[in-house]
Amino acid sequence: MSAGGFTRPWRSLGRLREAGIAAVIILLIAVFGVLNPLFLNPENLGSIVLSVGILMILAVGQMLVIVTRNIDLSVGSVLGLSAMVMGMVGRDLPQMPIYMQIVIAMVVGGLAGAVNGVLVAVANVPSIIATLGTLAIFRGLTFLVSNNVQVDPEDIADQMQDLAAYGPFGVPWLVVFAIVVVAVAWWFTTRTLTGKRLYAIGSNPDAAKMRGLDVRGLTFAVFVIMGALAGLGGAMYVARFATVNPADAGLGFELAVISAVVIGGTNIFGGSGTVFGTVLGTILVGILANGLTVVGVSGFWQRFASGAIILLAVVADAFVRRRIEARQSQETLVRTP
Amino acid sequence: MNQSVAQQELEVVSTPASARLSRVGVYLPSIIILIAAVIYGSISSPYFLDFSSLLVNTGRYVEIGLLALALTVVIINGDIDLSVASNLAVSAATMGLLAQSGVPIQIAALAALGVGLGLGAINAAFIVGLGLPSLVVTLATLALYRGLAQIMLGDSAVTDYPEEFIGADQASLLGETLRVPFPLVLFIGFALLFGFLLSRTNFGLACYLTGSNQQAARFSGIKTDRTRATAFLLCGLMAGTAAIMLTSRLGSTLSNVGLGLELLAITVVVLGGTDIFGGRGTILGTVIALFAVMAVRESLAISNVNGQVQDAVVGVILIAAIVVPLAVSRFRERRTLKKLR
Repeated sequence: MSAGGFTRPWRSLGRLREAGIAAVIILLIAVFGVLNPLFLNPENLGSIVLSVGILMILAVGQMLVIVTRNIDLSVGSVLGLSAMVMGMVGRDLPQMPIYMQIVIAMVVGGLAGAVNGVLVAVANVPSIIATLGTLAIFRGLTFLVSNNVQVDPEDIADQMQDLAAYGPFGVPWLVVFAIVVVAVAWWFTTRTLTGKRLYAIGSNPDAAKMRGLDVRGLTFAVFVIMGALAGLGGAMYVARFATVNPADAGLGFELAVISAVVIGGTNIFGGSGTVFGTVLGTILVGILANGLTVVGVSGFWQRFASGAIILLAVVADAFVRRRIEARQSQETLVRTP
Repeated sequence: MNQSVAQQELEVVSTPASARLSRVGVYLPSIIILIAAVIYGSISSPYFLDFSSLLVNTGRYVEIGLLALALTVVIINGDIDLSVASNLAVSAATMGLLAQSGVPIQIAALAALGVGLGLGAINAAFIVGLGLPSLVVTLATLALYRGLAQIMLGDSAVTDYPEEFIGADQASLLGETLRVPFPLVLFIGFALLFGFLLSRTNFGLACYLTGSNQQAARFSGIKTDRTRATAFLLCGLMAGTAAIMLTSRLGSTLSNVGLGLELLAITVVVLGGTDIFGGRGTILGTVIALFAVMAVRESLAISNVNGQVQDAVVGVILIAAIVVPLAVSRFRERRTLKKLR
């Protein structure tokens, strides 16, 4: 059977799925806008864009991790740790330029990601266990580093806070960073050989190894990238919220990030997923969280709704996949004598 | 040629000893941690080994233990349930609202069990019925059930529980001299029950076979769907049971009750030697690991270590418990191979 026979229905159904998410997003915007016109207020839309921006930086990294048939549950703690370290550096060394502070946050995140990477790729610990452990470890480290003292708004440089408000052509730098991350990830996954190898690893790690792919090296690299992106997310968190609390920063973020990736159509068992889908998934999660609050549905419904949306996404996914399989087996029946 | 002979010899030479060792070796990490934590705790405070306080403290860990017992079965099946703690919250909320509206506490407790079972059945329907991955489904129901508990309770706390229901963990079964708290007895009872289920029944055998190779198990006539669904139902039932115990211990119910307990429970199961990918694991391992985690956390608490740092230490232990035995066995294999050459 030719490769085209497999990829064509896959692609069109994948597109169909992405169109479905886009339709849901438009529907949500319409419903929230009708229920409360304040939802479409530029100020509120700006706030959605900022939270989606932070979420997207992490979701893109998580998508890469999940494509390789791994998962990183520690992203919220890595965000908290790097935000805390950066906040403290900014407080104690006020002369340090802003870009250096962001680099520090990304290095801290990258190091945390390297720890995950070593555990998964070198020590062969299943990623769900390794990152379940480091989820607790990095949160504990945040406490130890900060001595349980939060970084206050007056200790965070104005230029840092400006990143979430000003930028080229009126687009906040936070959003610019998110767009750059998305663009690079899109180029990486669709236009480079290394990017495509990630999908090969996720589809069948053993086969990838036998084909001579450096499964360990690539897996390690993906976790480092995820960590560095969580670090960047931490820096943007500081820019946006202008405070870092050791118990609070990034707590439970992993759930929102993984939801966004799964809603975006990435297969949790690896091997498939697109940056574009992840972007749509992130926008949906962001709009839902904000819209429910603005419409005045009590905050208590938010968790329920996000859980329901994930379930809906997976069920829809299963139907799509089953139709593809049915179509494929039909084709096989036709072609095999 | 040479190497394959060496490998064959290696297998012949090392099988009996290594098999014996691996049987005990599974428990070794948690036993070592248990002993180390007890020594550390008794050095840092003379009160650590105070028998009665130690026993009373177990009440807090019994809830984690109850969840861990059922999770052991789920994980041996090759699945996972991340939603147990949220299920616990909904069960507790149901019980609280019923008690508040004047329903007798026994009936409210029964309702908690029913709700726990029902939410477990919902998980089973999505995972087994629709054939969806348990990791994603229970990640979703983790949020969904917690949200449900928040919708039910809002910001308020239910405290209208009858006097005699509150504080069952103070109840002692064997008189005043040797105070054995009731939750501990309950936990040991359930542990024996689950141990029996896994090691002495057809259901247990089906669990191990399903977890080792689901397809092969199905083709050999094992009802893998029924086995996996039963495990999720058991998980729901234990979440309901843990909800009753927790409510009795705290005497009040908030919507964030048991938040994050799923991570601790999974840590206990994995530390106890259960393979996260299924097919292997024992209840005895889970029980030992529960006491190891309890000893670690209590010995740190007694030397005033912050809760988040306690969790971090448990996280380190979880990873070490997997990495160290792997490294040791790899090292030993290499050494034996060298000797044979």
